[in-house]
Amino acid sequence: MSAGVSTLDLMRARLQWLERRQGVLAGNVANADTPGYRAKDVTPFALPQPVQGQGQVTTPGHIPIAGIGAAGTVDAARIETRPNGNAVSLEDEMLRLAEVQVEHQTLVGLYQRSLAHLKTAIGKRA
Amino acid sequence: MSDFLKSIATAAQGLRAQSGRMRIISENIANAGTTPSKPGEAPYRRKIPVFETRADSETGGIGVSLTRIRRDRSDFGQRLEPGHPAADAAGMVKTPNVDFLIEQMDMREAQRSYEANVSVITAARRMIARTLDILKV
Repeated sequence: MSAGVSTLDLMRARLQWLERRQGVLAGNVANADTPGYRAKDVTPFALPQPVQGQGQVTTPGHIPIAGIGAAGTVDAARIETRPNGNAVSLEDEMLRLAEVQVEHQTLVGLYQRSLAHLKTAIGKRA
Repeated sequence: MSDFLKSIATAAQGLRAQSGRMRIISENIANAGTTPSKPGEAPYRRKIPVFETRADSETGGIGVSLTRIRRDRSDFGQRLEPGHPAADAAGMVKTPNVDFLIEQMDMREAQRSYEANVSVITAARRMIARTLDILKV
């Protein structure tokens, strides 16, 4: 726990990132037939940095410190583009949704396991 | 609203858009056999649903809506039926520009996209349920 970012914090950050990704993928699937729409994805997961205090932006040159879970969106790789300019591949979206699902299940399992460890440590039977 | 609920709301917009499209397809198919009632009158013109991306303030995500319905500009069909009340001097009757094959393909596409949106909702629901399972430890 002294390292600044605990295992639970890390897993929570990753779960939040997955949740965001699910939202972006839902937008892609909803727009699977919208002319001119390009599939999006979230920016790759970055390890949450322990931030000392709140970063203040006082001059335009400052770069704001992004908190945990602040993931932006980027255009996803173009797999196929239809004549109407739509670049959403439903198969690809389903694949990514499955990825999110599997990873979410793994992380929730790990999270539960970690909580059980903590409970064992405080003398409770898990 | 959590991101999972937002993604369910977004998928619901997708469902609504696709079912609106199905309605338009059924209007086209239902009217495919109609003819004008007088000579010189235009028959039914095929409708085309157009989807638009909508930056939704409620969900904060990228929604979709069926905002405009355009009309197909392609030429009408013609068939020879001199006894028809709408037949012109040459005995030709104008028929709607609805092509069953195109409607069939559009219907397939709408069905496929609808199912994709449903699986997004199922996935989000399952993940919400799993997250709640953390409480059970």
